[in-house]
Amino acid sequence: MTAELPPRTRGVIALLESNCTVCMICARECPDWCIHIESHTETVETPGHARPRAHNVLDRFAIDYGQCLYCGICVEVCPFDALHWAPEFGYPGTGSADGEGAVAELVHERDVLATWIAEVPPPPPLDAAAEPAPETTATRAVRGGSGTARRPGALRGRT
Amino acid sequence: MFAERGLRLDWGITFRITVLDLGLACCGVEVMAAFDGRGAADLEALGVDPVRDGGEAHVLVVSGTVTDVMLPAVVATYEEMPEPRYVLSVGACSNTGGPYWDSYSVTKGIDQVLPVHVAVPGCPPRPEALLEGLAALHKLVVS
Amino acid sequence: MSAASADLAALVPGAIVKTAFGQSTAHVELDQWSTAARFAHDDLGCVAFDWLGVEDAGRPGASGVRHAVLLHVLHPDTRSGLLLRTELAADDVLPSVAGLWAGAAWHEREAAEMFGVTLAEPVARLLLPDTFAGHPLRKDFVLAARVVRPWPGSLEPGEDSTSSPSRRRTLPPGVPDPVTWGPRKEENQP
Repeated sequence: MTAELPPRTRGVIALLESNCTVCMICARECPDWCIHIESHTETVETPGHARPRAHNVLDRFAIDYGQCLYCGICVEVCPFDALHWAPEFGYPGTGSADGEGAVAELVHERDVLATWIAEVPPPPPLDAAAEPAPETTATRAVRGGSGTARRPGALRGRT
Repeated sequence: MFAERGLRLDWGITFRITVLDLGLACCGVEVMAAFDGRGAADLEALGVDPVRDGGEAHVLVVSGTVTDVMLPAVVATYEEMPEPRYVLSVGACSNTGGPYWDSYSVTKGIDQVLPVHVAVPGCPPRPEALLEGLAALHKLVVS
Repeated sequence: MSAASADLAALVPGAIVKTAFGQSTAHVELDQWSTAARFAHDDLGCVAFDWLGVEDAGRPGASGVRHAVLLHVLHPDTRSGLLLRTELAADDVLPSVAGLWAGAAWHEREAAEMFGVTLAEPVARLLLPDTFAGHPLRKDFVLAARVVRPWPGSLEPGEDSTSSPSRRRTLPPGVPDPVTWGPRKEENQP
């Protein structure tokens, strides 16, 4: 069903799983306690690195949309931009003929959250009258990434 | 939307779909927008008749925060509905208590007391989302 | 022409006036409450009722021990306000000012229900259901839903809900320590 939606419409929250590092900040900041995250830690031995690295692997990321108040705190607070607004609104939960389980149908797991990423609109364009961003006007390579001012960063020449 | 695409949903010949909106709070305004505002044309395509009396309604739309003191009134409205009766819960507050889930005076979801057949998420949901919920209810009834 | 103005507060006999952030509060003792209210209504001409509210003492351990009752009334011509204040202990009775301003009756009933302030005459419940126990607007009233419901944020990164924590999990805001509040856990499991 289509509707004329204004820009920056808050519809549903989509998860870009490749950006999620399982920092748990969204689950902690949610005022309704509706984000459920489960994960485990894996250690990876990479030859050439001094020590094995541990990283968190997401097992479960679910948002209970029956509880969600669409405040957007999780979207704003995510340090890695893993959560985004997508303008979808037609996902009611249907229960059985006896009226059981309709609200439980509104808990959506990470596979459904990932499908909504396709509907995330591109960010609105920058204001034409604003000052240009420092990244575009710097004369030195400020995008050096890691490394000191003298040593080249890991990303130099690659971005 | 529905009317333009020429979609008509046949509810069957055994009953009219009469809908009573129990607008308790903010979601009630969105339901009003769906029934009386721009979405009113779609109701015709959906075969839905809004009514004002519980004794005529087969679908109860609970929209808004259900407080503990208001709960007996909601249940009384449900009791006077004729069979077959369905409940549509609109918005986070009537689904689970929503933003007021920790309050001392709020019922944490009308599904604690009444059977809920379709739950529409949102805070508040768009009027179009409510119409999608009615379409989902139609699928449930017909199946 | 201002709310809680200092010039009206200064005229109330026997009141200690405190001014902060441009607002003045005239504090009177509880036994002078009716007298001060009558003075404000009759002699100062503040016949317009604004609100009557209660503040909980708020200090840990002091909640429910002392309440501060505030009354804001207005002079309709100059529209200056007078903020009267008194303090109650837990078993003190608050004399009613509803005889002077009829609208105060609702506010007093709400204060009695939400804070547990004793009124001179018992009144029926106003906002809460009859089966409700406790006084919800006191600072020590715990929202039981927050204690009972498991907080998803208590898990650390790399944990799932089945793992037992290596150290005590953080509690969400508003949840007291289970040692001090909540159902008593059995000491010795059979």
